Amino acid sequence: MAATLIPPDFDSSSSTDSSSSNRGITRSLRVAEIARRKTKAEDPIVAALKYFSKVQAGTPVQGNEELERNLVSVETVAYSKGLSPEAISVMLEFAMSLRMGTSPCARVLKFLLPSTVVPHQAVVRAVVWLCVGKLPITTQVLFIKWVLTVFDMIDAKDNLRAIYGFIFSFVTEENLCPYICHLLYLLTRKECVRLFRVRKLLELQSKLGKQPFLLHLLSLYKVFCPELVTLSLNSRIRAGFKNHHGPWKLALNAIQKRNFVQVSSDLPLALQTKEKAGLRKRKLGQMDLPVLNVVVQSQKQTSYNKMVVPLAHIQSFVQLLENLHLIELPAQMGSLLGSGLALHYLDCVQDESAFLRLNFWLGHALNEEFLFCGHGGASQGSDEVVRFLERLLSTQHFLQEGFSSVEAFLYKFLNVWDGSLLRPQILGLLSNIPVVPSSCINRLLSEPLMQLFFTSTVFFKCGLIESLNGMLAKWLTWHSVYALEDGLDVSLDSPTSMHMSRSGFMQSVVELVRFVGRLASLGLQLEGCHSLLLSFVLDFYDTVCDIFQKYGLPLVVMIPAGVFYPALFAFDPVSVDRLAQIMYRYKMNLTSAKKQEKLTGQAFHISRQTYREFNHYLVFMVNCLWNSKIFQPGDDIELSEELLLRSRVPQYWASFNLIHHPAFHCYAIDFHHKCWPERRDVDLNSIQNSKTWGWYLEYLFTQGFDGLQQFIQSSISFHPSTTDSQDHRP
Amino acid sequence: MSLLRPLSKLPDLNAANVLLVENEEHFQQKLADVMVNEKSVIVQVRLAKSLPLPMKQEKSRPRIDLVVFIVNLMSELSLHSAEASLKHLAPGYFLGKVCFMVTNARNASVPAERMEAVRKLASALNCPLLFAEDQTPDGVTNAAERLLVILRVAAGCVPMTTALFLSNLTRCTISTEAEQQNSDYDA
Repeated sequence: MAATLIPPDFDSSSSTDSSSSNRGITRSLRVAEIARRKTKAEDPIVAALKYFSKVQAGTPVQGNEELERNLVSVETVAYSKGLSPEAISVMLEFAMSLRMGTSPCARVLKFLLPSTVVPHQAVVRAVVWLCVGKLPITTQVLFIKWVLTVFDMIDAKDNLRAIYGFIFSFVTEENLCPYICHLLYLLTRKECVRLFRVRKLLELQSKLGKQPFLLHLLSLYKVFCPELVTLSLNSRIRAGFKNHHGPWKLALNAIQKRNFVQVSSDLPLALQTKEKAGLRKRKLGQMDLPVLNVVVQSQKQTSYNKMVVPLAHIQSFVQLLENLHLIELPAQMGSLLGSGLALHYLDCVQDESAFLRLNFWLGHALNEEFLFCGHGGASQGSDEVVRFLERLLSTQHFLQEGFSSVEAFLYKFLNVWDGSLLRPQILGLLSNIPVVPSSCINRLLSEPLMQLFFTSTVFFKCGLIESLNGMLAKWLTWHSVYALEDGLDVSLDSPTSMHMSRSGFMQSVVELVRFVGRLASLGLQLEGCHSLLLSFVLDFYDTVCDIFQKYGLPLVVMIPAGVFYPALFAFDPVSVDRLAQIMYRYKMNLTSAKKQEKLTGQAFHISRQTYREFNHYLVFMVNCLWNSKIFQPGDDIELSEELLLRSRVPQYWASFNLIHHPAFHCYAIDFHHKCWPERRDVDLNSIQNSKTWGWYLEYLFTQGFDGLQQFIQSSISFHPSTTDSQDHRP
Repeated sequence: MSLLRPLSKLPDLNAANVLLVENEEHFQQKLADVMVNEKSVIVQVRLAKSLPLPMKQEKSRPRIDLVVFIVNLMSELSLHSAEASLKHLAPGYFLGKVCFMVTNARNASVPAERMEAVRKLASALNCPLLFAEDQTPDGVTNAAERLLVILRVAAGCVPMTTALFLSNLTRCTISTEAEQQNSDYDA
C-alpha cells in the first residue's frame, strides 16, 4: 500500500542521484514558470528556485555568491508572504538532500514558511532523506520540529500515515524521540496500533522512565486498542507535549495574518481563499488552522474509497444521523469546536478517543498561547484569543461539561495570572471546572484565588464571586442529573468518567461554600460592606440556601455571620430584602428536610448545629426588625448598656426595626406623609401602634419587598390586634 | 549601613508612601505614573534601583508604608538584586509591608527553577507574590491598582484591617511544581 502512495520516482531516488529524483518537481515547476512568464517578466524568486532545483551536488558553498543571492531572494519572499507549495518542495528537497553540504540546510529549514499548504509529497520525500541517515542530528530535530509546526498545513496526511512505520522507526533515536512521539500522536489511527509498536514503546519507557511524550502516545494507543496496552495509565497526564518553539511560529502567524487580509491574488498557485470562506468550520481565526480540510477530503475521495465519511462532509443533522457509525474525525481536532454538528456528534457518541484528542489539542493550544508564550505576551488580549476562548466557552456550554485539559491549564494559569488579562473569559472557564475533590480544592483553587481576591479591586471580587457561584450551580446541576438513586453512598456517573461518592461530592460542595463564605466575609470587611459586592455575595447564597429543595442534595450550609450582619444592617433596602428572602428559603429547606426525616425515618446529615445557627439568626432578625429588641445579652452583637446610654441614642433598642432601620427609614417617612398629610412634625413612633403598623407593612409589601413579605409571613404570626409576635422554630 | 524602618517616622494624614525597588528601572516608572493618580489617598511613589537608600535624603524621606520588589523573571540579576536588597529592611517590614511583583512569568524562556526560587523567597518571608503583565497598558493599570489595594491597607487608610491581617490572607504559600505534578496525576 505504501508503494502506491509514494511518488513513482521514490524507488529511483538515492543520495547521489539527485537530478533524476527531481524530475517530477522540476517539470511541474517548469509548467508553472511558463504560465507565469506570460504575465510578467521572470522575477528573482523564480530564478532562485530554478537555481536550487538544478544546482549540482558538490557545488562549493564558500564564496558562492550566486547561492547567497538566491538564498536571500527566497528568504525575503518567505518572510514577507510565505512560500508557494512548489517553492516548499524545491527548497525542502534542496535542503534535505544535502546537495551543498549541511551548512545551508539549517538555514533553508528555518525560512521554510508556507503561504498556503505544504505538499505532502515533499514531506514524504524529506522523510525519505531522513531515512538515508546522512543528516546531522540537530538538523533532523529541526526538520521534525518543522513538520510539527506546519502539520496543519500539510495538504494530505494519508501518505504520511502510509509511512507510519518508517517514522516510527526513529523512536529509538534518543534526541528525536519526543518529537517523533508527538508526530506519531498526530498521525495515529486505529490501524496503526500494532503489538510490536506497543512493545517497543514499553521497552523505551522502561529505559527512559515515565516520559510524558511516551505516556501520551501510549494512552492514545490504549484508547484505540485497549486489549494491546495493558498498562494502567491515568487519564489525566499532565497536559500536552512540550511546546517546541521552533523559529517558525511567529513568522508563520504574521504571514497568515497578512495573507488573510490581502486576499491572495498575487500568489498564482495559492489555494483559493473563497473555498475557505465557504467552509463552515473555519471560525476560529488565527489560533487554530483547520482550514485545509477541503484539500484533505478531495484527495481522499479520489485516492481510495474507504467506508468512512469525514465529518466535514456532513452538512445536515439528518446526514449526521445516517452516517453516525461511519464518521471519521478530522486530523485537526480543534475544528470540532467551531461546528455545531461536530459537537452534536461528540455529545451523543461519547467517543473516548475523540475526547482524548480534543483535550490534547486544547491543552497544547492553551499552553502555547497563554502559559508559555515565546514573545512576552505581545498578542495578549487580541481579538483572536478572545474569540477562541469564547468559542471554547460556548462549546463547554453546549456540551454541559468542562474539558480536563482546560481545567489543568487553569490550575497552572491561576498561579501566574495577574487578575486582569482576559478576565471575563478566564472567570467563565473557571466556573466550568468540574467537581474538584475536596482534598484538592484548597491547593488548586483556594490558594491562588485567595491571593488574587484580596489584592484586587472590588470589581474583580464581584467577578470572582459570580464565577464561583456559577461553579457551585454547575456542580449541583451535574449531581442532580447524574446521581444514581439508590442509597446514600452511590457513585456518580458521567461521561467524563469521573467517579465520586456522594459523601465525597458533598464534602467538595461544603468546602467550596465555606471557601466562598470566607472570601465574602473578609471581602466585605475589607471593602467596607460595598453594596455591589454584597449583592454578588447574596446571589451566591441564593444558590446555597436552596441546595436541598432545588437540587435534592441533603445539605444545608448556613450563611456566615460575616455576611448575615452586613446584609441585615445594610443601607440599601434591597440587600435586607434579599437577606429576608434567603432566610425564608433556608427555613423552607430546613422544614422540608425535617419533614422528610420524619417521613422516611432516615437520618439526614443536617446537623443540630445548623438548626441552632438558623434559629439564632432568625431570632436576632425578628427581634431586630420586628420586636425592637436589639443588643440583648447573648446576641452576637453585644454592647454594654452603659455604653449604649452614653451614646445618647434615644430608644437605641428600636433603632433597627422596620421603621428606624436606615434602609427603611425613608419609607417610614414617606408612609408618615401619606398617612397624616396635615401633620407638620414627623413622629415615626406613631406608626408603631398596631393598626398603623399593619398598614405600614402593607405599604412596604406594595413597594416590592417580596422577600421581606415572605419572611414575615412565614416566620411571624402577626395579628393586627397585637404587636406581640412569636417566631416559629422548625 | 542603615536599615529602613517601618515605624521610625510619623505618618502624614491621609497619605501613603510606597517604595518601588527594581533593578532594571523599567517597569517601576510606568507603575508610578499610574499610582500617583489615585484620588482617595495622597500617594507618594519613591523609586529605587536597590537598597539601601542613600543616607543624605534620610531627613526628607517620608515614612515608607510599603516596599515592593519588582522582579523580572527574564533576568537572573533582577532576582539577585532583590535578594540582596532585602537585607536592608528592618524585620518590622515583613509584617505585611513588603510584597513582590513578578513580571514575565508566562514567558516560555523563563527557567522553572527561577520561578521556583522567587516563590520560595516570597513564602519564606510570608510576603504576597503578585504577577503582572508589564507589556500592555491594561496590565500596568491593573498591577498599579492591586498595589494600591495593598498600599492603602499598609498605610492604615482602610478601617477595620491592618497590613499584617491582609498579608496573612494574601501571602504566598509554597506549592511546588512537583506537588502540582503529583496532583495532576492523582486528581
